[in-house]
Amino acid sequence: METAVRFYGYFRDIVNEGRAQFNLPVGANLADLIQALTERYGDRVRERLLRGDGSLQSGVRIAVGGKVVDSLDHKIEDGGREVDVFVMHEVAGGAEVEIKEDVWIDTTCALCYSCCAIRVHRVNGVVIKIEGNPDCPSTNGRICPKGLSGIMMLYDPNRINTPLKRTNPEKGRGIDPKWVPISWDEALDIVTEKLRKVRQEDPRKLLAIGSVTNLSLYRQLLSFAMAFGTPNSWNSGAGTHCGAGEHIMAAMVHHAWAWNPDADHCKYFLNFGTPAGFGAHYANVAMTQRMADARVKGMKHVVIDPWMGMAAEKADEWVPIRPGTDTALVLGMINLLINEYGLYDAESLKHHTNAPYLIGPDGCYVRDEKGTVQVWDAGEGRAKAYDDPSVQDFALEGSYTLGDTACQPAFMLHKEKVKTYTPERVSSKTTVPPQTITRLAREFGEAACIGSTITLEGKTLPYRPVVVGYFKGSQGHRHAALAAMAAELLREVVGASAVPGATLGTHARSLGNPETGIPHWGPKVGPDGLMVLDTFAWPVASYNPYPPRPARKPETVTLIECVPLPGSTSFPPLVMADPEKYGLDYKIEVVLNACSNFPMTTADPDLVSRAFKDLYIINYGLFPDESSELADLLLPDACYLERLDTDTDWMCSGPPTGAWAYHLRQPVVQPLHQRRQFESVTLELAERLDMRQDLYMVLNMMHHLEGEYALDPERQYTWEEVVDRRYKAWYGAKYGVDWFRENSILTWPKKVEEVYWRPFMPVRVPIYFEFFPRVGQEVEKIKQETGIPFDTGDFQPLPDWKPCRSHESTNPDFDLFAIYFRAPFHAFTYTGNNPMLDEISKMDPYNFRININTQTAAGKGIRDGDWVMVESEATGKSVRGQAKLAQGLHPEVIAVAGSGGHWAKGLPVATQEGKGVNFEWLLPLTFEDTDTVSFNQDLCVKVKIYKEASQP
Amino acid sequence: MRYGMVIDLKRCIGCYGCQISCKMENATPPGILYARVSKEEIGEFPNVRRASIPMLCMHCASPPCQEVCPSGATSQRPDGIVEIDDKKCVGCRYCMMACPYGARYYHAKVRSYFPGQGLTPYEEWGYRNHPTGVVEKCDFCQDRLAAGQEPACAASCPSHARFFGDLEDPFSEVAMLVRDRGGYQLHSQLGTDPSVYYLPS
Repeated sequence: METAVRFYGYFRDIVNEGRAQFNLPVGANLADLIQALTERYGDRVRERLLRGDGSLQSGVRIAVGGKVVDSLDHKIEDGGREVDVFVMHEVAGGAEVEIKEDVWIDTTCALCYSCCAIRVHRVNGVVIKIEGNPDCPSTNGRICPKGLSGIMMLYDPNRINTPLKRTNPEKGRGIDPKWVPISWDEALDIVTEKLRKVRQEDPRKLLAIGSVTNLSLYRQLLSFAMAFGTPNSWNSGAGTHCGAGEHIMAAMVHHAWAWNPDADHCKYFLNFGTPAGFGAHYANVAMTQRMADARVKGMKHVVIDPWMGMAAEKADEWVPIRPGTDTALVLGMINLLINEYGLYDAESLKHHTNAPYLIGPDGCYVRDEKGTVQVWDAGEGRAKAYDDPSVQDFALEGSYTLGDTACQPAFMLHKEKVKTYTPERVSSKTTVPPQTITRLAREFGEAACIGSTITLEGKTLPYRPVVVGYFKGSQGHRHAALAAMAAELLREVVGASAVPGATLGTHARSLGNPETGIPHWGPKVGPDGLMVLDTFAWPVASYNPYPPRPARKPETVTLIECVPLPGSTSFPPLVMADPEKYGLDYKIEVVLNACSNFPMTTADPDLVSRAFKDLYIINYGLFPDESSELADLLLPDACYLERLDTDTDWMCSGPPTGAWAYHLRQPVVQPLHQRRQFESVTLELAERLDMRQDLYMVLNMMHHLEGEYALDPERQYTWEEVVDRRYKAWYGAKYGVDWFRENSILTWPKKVEEVYWRPFMPVRVPIYFEFFPRVGQEVEKIKQETGIPFDTGDFQPLPDWKPCRSHESTNPDFDLFAIYFRAPFHAFTYTGNNPMLDEISKMDPYNFRININTQTAAGKGIRDGDWVMVESEATGKSVRGQAKLAQGLHPEVIAVAGSGGHWAKGLPVATQEGKGVNFEWLLPLTFEDTDTVSFNQDLCVKVKIYKEASQP
Repeated sequence: MRYGMVIDLKRCIGCYGCQISCKMENATPPGILYARVSKEEIGEFPNVRRASIPMLCMHCASPPCQEVCPSGATSQRPDGIVEIDDKKCVGCRYCMMACPYGARYYHAKVRSYFPGQGLTPYEEWGYRNHPTGVVEKCDFCQDRLAAGQEPACAASCPSHARFFGDLEDPFSEVAMLVRDRGGYQLHSQLGTDPSVYYLPS
């Protein structure tokens, strides 16, 4: 029986012809034809057409005589002996699927600290989609690429799924730890034994390491460490990657963790290189929408940055600047505003800052016999207490004599000091032309609309529609605190802080849900009328820079007790390498690391490795990442889609304006494999270590669990019970976990008294940091006693620009500054193995490359795509990558995206040659490169770049 | 009725959110990007601009892809959406050559986002709708439209840079944006009359 067979679509590629003749026996059916096809064209044909059970693959269409048939028993002669074979569908999943479950679950993202509300689609137990939660007034249902792609973190086959024990005692980069899976029982037995031993000997021998991105986890880690009895806890990476100087100022000036623009009213955004509203920074998605609104409404946006990042790309003006010189520009602008243009907000300075406080020749406040700080009342022509209600006019200028003491208002000292920052001098430091400096200063000062008001909700408030943006980049230098101080002064000089249009501290004040009156926090009046932080205000309750606590000699490997102001540190690797040198009478023996990739996010990874490789390291995390190369035990954590968390309402998780919005992070799938949420395991460890009472006491304090919600050590709680109590304690008896599961979002509008709190509150903020020199003297004393090379020169009450080490380099070979920029579609190293974000990273022209100015590259014979080496003057280490020639980059600078250049074999997507460089190899970890006031690291280094001799 | 999209480059920050939201909505395999972001640099330091241009199928009124399709797989709905019937597509890829916007992708074989490590449960679920041997592209999320939702890229755009609606209705948001803000089409000189408009940055 001659049979004509025609092939179509994909099948044609398999058989390499379009038609063929077959001689089949009479009565042959489709199964016989497929057998004949297989004999002629090979087994591949059968695989394409038939499933293992012998039925037709989905996507295969066979027509006999022009009619599609689906039974293999179909006789060919019935159709006139003509057969068409279509194979157009090679389908992954196979057969049609019966839908047994189709649900959406509301929860909270955790791929950065913005904590956006999301809804997650689960079908038949599989998570298939993440969307923004449209009921959330912060994000309006929108969500960033990181948040959208979180499924790839949930299902990443490289996740740690079971406890793993190291069997190769040799540790180091690229050395296989030879992990073997063990049971949770065995793992917890090991952990218990290690922890019990150090707790009995000296609990300080435990170092807890975490990351602040997931605050539920980090708070639990801190709580566990405190309950355990160790003062050694380290939020690694924060020293390098955070705005440590900014956070100190945010606490003292804004009653906040950080700032965001008042996008609703801002007309001029002077942005020193931040991505606020441009894909990163706090309240990312919420601010991105609001800043887009502001642009459409005509807000002018000027970005000052060596690198043309996403903010600069959308700016009205990009001002390229030499790295580490922003402070000079800021002070130059302040000089012009005060001394040339007279554009400053005297009323705000008089009533809301310590600008009128009289300063004596010793730099300290002038006080009366009762110790009250004095001001000069220009109305009556005499000195009065700063809080005397009869003061008619606070003098900002002039020189006075009280008794024998010559004194001047603090503002006057500023006015004089900034005079040295002339446009010409500033230009020589920054490379910004003098005419640009004068123009920007005037534009900014005029845009501030000093003296004008706006009426919101019936309340007339100052209207200062200018925002000064600064964060990690501009202040991430050797003199971070002074840089932050200067930027704050620029805000205060024009009165543009916590009023409509201005810079707003995020969530500075909460008057509570109108229904319950909670949660409630806000600025408080402290010593000398200056603001102090409420206990609720910062995510970690123990921080308060003002009034400063006493400086103490080293007690921990973080050295944070030595200086009263920093909230984070990068010193542990240095101190741990030689604890005796720092006067510590113990050594760290055990490390409990919870989800921090500290070897990649500190500085000088080799130094970090050396400090940690001989310790017993328990790594709790998601991936066998770079920190795992140093670990002895890996414990599998639940990722955010598998977690029930206490903290999804980070201080900065919402936009400053609009509505309050609180929600829950709950599992959308139960933890897969043997993953267990860190918090639950620490509750179990507390039982095993007989430290339940200690842990519950700390948890009560950390989560503000009081009264009926306080954990009672007489009984044992599950993690869900702890979370439930935390929610009820914060939002009221009815608002427990079940309420949030059912209703998703608790929201109410923000009041103008909360958002624009400055005019409503009797507190003052510092523009003259009178207590800094005293702190500096205390630190100096510790320096003398211990020999720790703290540089105490920056504990000064007024800001200055001072050079970084890189500015003082004299070696002509190292002719370029290296900086890194934030890749907004990554959450530091946390998302490096996410293949969808990796796909973006590969498409993006700059993300995986070593970016160099086109003209600079031409001078060095470097072409686009060349493989180059970048060598750091400070560390002597080099990184290798492909050059990208860019016009949007300062000619003295090379720039790379932060947190690239993974090297752990357990991250096969991230760890590939050419996928970025880890900037930390170029960064030294030394006291000379760390700001003593804030412990911020300097993030610019001098480098040389050269083309590799042989190009692949 | 003519569906259209307006992308406001004043609002867009080039974050690639559209690219990923499209991926997650349509579960497109690696390398297949119904929505993507193209980046370029214009000028010389210091007078330089960078531009991020989000790209997708332009759903042209006169689609050259449809003209060259030999199997009738590409067609245009009355509402202007240009769609591909994967049951009719023979994978010849003429349409990819014809499309001036690079909006079409050929799905050659099933690939995992984790090469050599199999498909994730999410991919196993989603790739059922992605036959190989055919060409794919954006269809303005017609399943979402049928359910009364806007396309996924528009719904999730973090900067709210995308607007969707009926270009022929003079009072629709999209028509008014095009009119009031000087909306323009990409490569309009080619005469394909795209349904995607851009507002100047």
